[in-house]
This record gives sequence, C-alpha cells and structure tokens, in this order.
Amino acid sequence: MASSAAIASAAPASAEFPPILARLPMILSVVGGLGALLGILVPSLHKQFAFSWLLAFMFYLSLMLGGLFLIILHHLFDAQWSVPIRRIYEHIACCSPLLAVFFVPILVNAVVAGPEKALFQWMHSDPSHDHALMAKQALFNKGSWVVVSLVVLALWIFWTHAFRKASLEQDKSGSASCTRRMRVLAASGIFVFALSLTLGAILWMKSLQWQWFSTMYGVYYFAGSVWLTVGTVFVITMFLDRSGPLKPVLQPVTYHDIGKLFFAFTVFYAYIAFSQYFLIWNANIPEETFWYVLREKGSWWGVGMLMIFGHFFLPFLLLLRIDTKMSFTVMVPLAAWAWLMHFCDLSFNIMPVLHPDGFVIHWLDLCCMALMGGLMAMWFIRGFKAHPPFPQKDPRMAECLGIHVSAAKPHGGAR
Amino acid sequence: MSTSTAGRPYALIAEFETPASTLHAAELIRDAGYKRWDVHTPFPIHGLDGAMGLRNSKVGWFTFLGGTTGFSLGMLMIWWMGKVDYAIPVGGKPLFSPIFAFPVSYELTILLGAFGTLFGMFFLNRLPRHYHPLLKHPRFRNVTHDRIYVVIECADPKFSDAETRKLLEHAGGRHIEIVED
Repeated sequence: MASSAAIASAAPASAEFPPILARLPMILSVVGGLGALLGILVPSLHKQFAFSWLLAFMFYLSLMLGGLFLIILHHLFDAQWSVPIRRIYEHIACCSPLLAVFFVPILVNAVVAGPEKALFQWMHSDPSHDHALMAKQALFNKGSWVVVSLVVLALWIFWTHAFRKASLEQDKSGSASCTRRMRVLAASGIFVFALSLTLGAILWMKSLQWQWFSTMYGVYYFAGSVWLTVGTVFVITMFLDRSGPLKPVLQPVTYHDIGKLFFAFTVFYAYIAFSQYFLIWNANIPEETFWYVLREKGSWWGVGMLMIFGHFFLPFLLLLRIDTKMSFTVMVPLAAWAWLMHFCDLSFNIMPVLHPDGFVIHWLDLCCMALMGGLMAMWFIRGFKAHPPFPQKDPRMAECLGIHVSAAKPHGGAR
Repeated sequence: MSTSTAGRPYALIAEFETPASTLHAAELIRDAGYKRWDVHTPFPIHGLDGAMGLRNSKVGWFTFLGGTTGFSLGMLMIWWMGKVDYAIPVGGKPLFSPIFAFPVSYELTILLGAFGTLFGMFFLNRLPRHYHPLLKHPRFRNVTHDRIYVVIECADPKFSDAETRKLLEHAGGRHIEIVED
C-alpha cells in the first residue's frame, strides 16, 4: 500500500537526545549504584537497604507490568488509536529481564537473611504458634515463595518478548498472521497477567504483614501501576513526537486518548483503594483493621490523606476537561506528580513495617530508585533505538491516521 | 399549527454530495462570519467541528454541576438522617462519617451527573421540539440517505438573500433554495 510505504520512509531512524538528557540515565545509575553498594556493604544499613530495594523494585515493576497490560489491552480490543504508540509499551514491557535481575537481592534476602534482617518475617515464624501463617501455609512457605516468584518472572519475560517479537516480525513481513498471533497472546495473556500480578503483589508486598486479608490487593497494585504507566507513556510520546520519530504518525487526538485512559485509571484506582478501605472499616474486624491502624499513626496519616487528595482529587479535577488532557504544560507535571504519588503509595504499603512511627524518605530509597530508573531508561532507549519507532506495517495504522484504504476487490465473486 | 409565522422564509439550504466539498463549504461560511447555521449529514464527518468553528460543548458544565450537587446532597442526607434527625448508634461507629456516606454520595453523583448531562443537552439543543421547518423541505429527506445539507438561517445577522446565495454557490452547493417556516 502506498500510504504505509510513505509513512515508513518519512520516519527518522532514531530519536536524538539532548546531551544532558542522554547522559542522565548513566549518571543516575552510577550515583544510585554507589549508594546502593554502601547499603550492601554496611551491615547496619542492611535492613533499610532491603526495604528500599523492595520499594524501588515494586515501583519499576509497576511500569513494566503496566506496559504489558497496555499491549494486552490494545490487542484485546483490536484498538487502532494506540498503534503509533504501541512500540513504547513493548519496549517498556521488555524491561522484564532487567526486573528479574533486580529481583535477585530480594531473593537473596528471603533465602539467606536471618530474622533480624529479613523482609518477610513470616519465614521466621513458627506455623504451629501462628494461626494466620498455618492457614496460609500452602502459599506462605519458603519453597512456594521462591518457586512462584521465579515462575511469574519467567512468564512475564516470555509474554513481553513474544509480543515484541511478533510485532517486529510484522515490520518486515506485513503479515496479518502476526496480528493474529498477538491476539492469541493477548487473550491468553490477560489471565496469566491477572494471576501472576496478583501473586507478585501478595508474595512480595502484602506478605510483609502476612496476617492481613484483602481480596482487593492485586487489583489495587494493578490500578496504581497502569495509572503510573499511562502517565509515563504520555510524556515519552510527547518527547518522541517533538524530537521526531513519532511525528509522522501522531494525531492530536492520540494525546486526548492517552489522557482519557489516564483519567479512567485515576478513577479506577480511587474506586479500588476506597473499596478496600471501606469494606475493612465497615466490617471492623481486628484481623483486618490492624493494617490500617498502623497506617493512621504518626505522619502515615498524612500520607493517607495525600493519597485521597493528591492521588485522586487533584488529577481527577485536572483531567475532567478535554483541553487539559491535551496540554503538555498540564500533563508533564501531572505525570511527574503521578511518579511521586505512586512512590508514596508503595511506601504507604511497604514502609510502615520498618518505620511504624511515620513516613521517612531514606537516602537509600532515592539511591535504589535512581539506580533502577537509570538502568531501565538505558534498557528502554537501547531497545527503542534498535528498532523502528512505530509498527511499520500494522493493518490498523492507516485507519488510525484517518486514511481510507478500500479493499482490493469487493466481496461477492467475479464481476 | 399557528399560521402567523408560516410562509416566512426560515433559511437558505444547499445540497452537497461529498464530505470534502462540505468541509470546504463549512470553512468558507465560518470565515465569512456566519453564526446561525448548521450542517446536516447522514454520517459523522471527521473534522467538521473544526471546519465549522465549533467550540467544545458546554454540556460538561451541567454534568459537573449535577455531579457536585449529587455528592453534596448525599453527604448532607446521611448526616441529617443519622446524626441530627434520628440517631441510632451501631457497632460503636460514629453517627456520621464520610466513609459510610460515600457509596450513597457516589451513586447520587453519578445519577445527578447523568441528569445534568441529559437535561443540559436538552436545554442547550432547545429540545424537545416537535416541529422543524426543514422537515417540510422535499429534498431534505435525503439527509438520512446520501446527501449533505448546509443550512444558513435568515435570522443570522450577516444573512442577505443575494450574498448568502452567492456564497453557497461559490462553495459548490446545489439546489440552493429558501425553506419556509
């Protein structure tokens, strides 16, 4: 087709980064890496380091899983609007092997650390004296924890790379069979995704307080994760539009569409977070309320309020209007705000176990965030530069650009 | 039917065959400064809003107003019933808390938000309206089939029979006729 050939030839090979921005991921990972190394070497920092590392890991895992979900969503709905930005999802999701590497220190802590430094205290609790642990033994034993953790990481690596492989293959062949394969991956992947994400959230975050119950927890982590990722995708799209690679295929309405998704997940997160709180508050059972009681002490109360007003009300009211959804001056600070809010949200979930008196941002938190963020950015940029910036021969591309391509021959036999 | 307005000219109507020519015509009319005019199409034409110079709909303000009214009303209702009018202490819980008042307020936000949208739309569109002069026009029935109509009302301050007709002709419209009220 003439139209898609013209689109492909108009695209520059790669994005040009301003020098400071190009060096930023390297600087972040070196500085963060040195700090993290100190956390590993100084024994008195071990426990703080383990929690900081877990927090940063769960944060960037959010981005990776958000990317995977957006790919699945795209294919499940056979969407056309997100074709030009699909490669951004694919490269974010394909950071999965890096996340598996980031998991190693957590695995080491779980397997090696003694009770005074362990993240997961239930591993050092005796089930015969601990009813909650006894009841949850099937999942909450060291063997299951290690095996399930490794299996979900392997599933993510497989699914993310299978998607990108099919997508890149279509760049060359233009074959509709690639689209078909991605649809099959999406239809099966949505179940794998839901189960694996829930298991990950339970094993790595919720099990810090293993006595607790919440059937919302997986969805809660999911909602915050996709929210963060959509905001991030908006900024990356804007950057790649301005610097060139996505310019030929982006429409103003694409920003509106990403903004709508961001808005939807703002509301969805609030709905889920409130439902979890509401059900536990209303039932008023000590086995459940203790989790929130801990989080209403000291400055954690303030963080809880920040979740209501900063994680929900502020973005909700800002994103109500169409013009703000499409305005870079609103959306870029809002995406940065989403990073801060998601960080505080995860801190609210993880850190009260270590710092029950109140919210603390330790320098090791920042170092682990910088290290992983820098490495992930480098991984993403390397992936992005190695391949065409958007799907080259996707059958839905022309439709997305508003070009009408009529069928080669109408149906209905020979005429 | 009242006979007092019947027979008075209502608008000038012009027929178009393709979305492209319609978009072009809409741009010309927009740039000529007309305010009371409309385009009727059998299917959505992308970009027509821009070509007609239409701003974003104001209906969102009605939705917002309805929603905030619903939310405040829900909170107020639960507070009044549970704390002021007929207090029943249950399970050691406070007589009023925004937490248990939330589901009701939330549902009322949606309900009144939807009402605001629907009735705001009716209000802005001046609906319901049981009679419209265009429906009398014999060619206008093609608007649900394969023709596009541009209608400029005589009530437009810029309207003049000769000038407006010339504009529509220049824009490529055909079967340009006066529609009577």
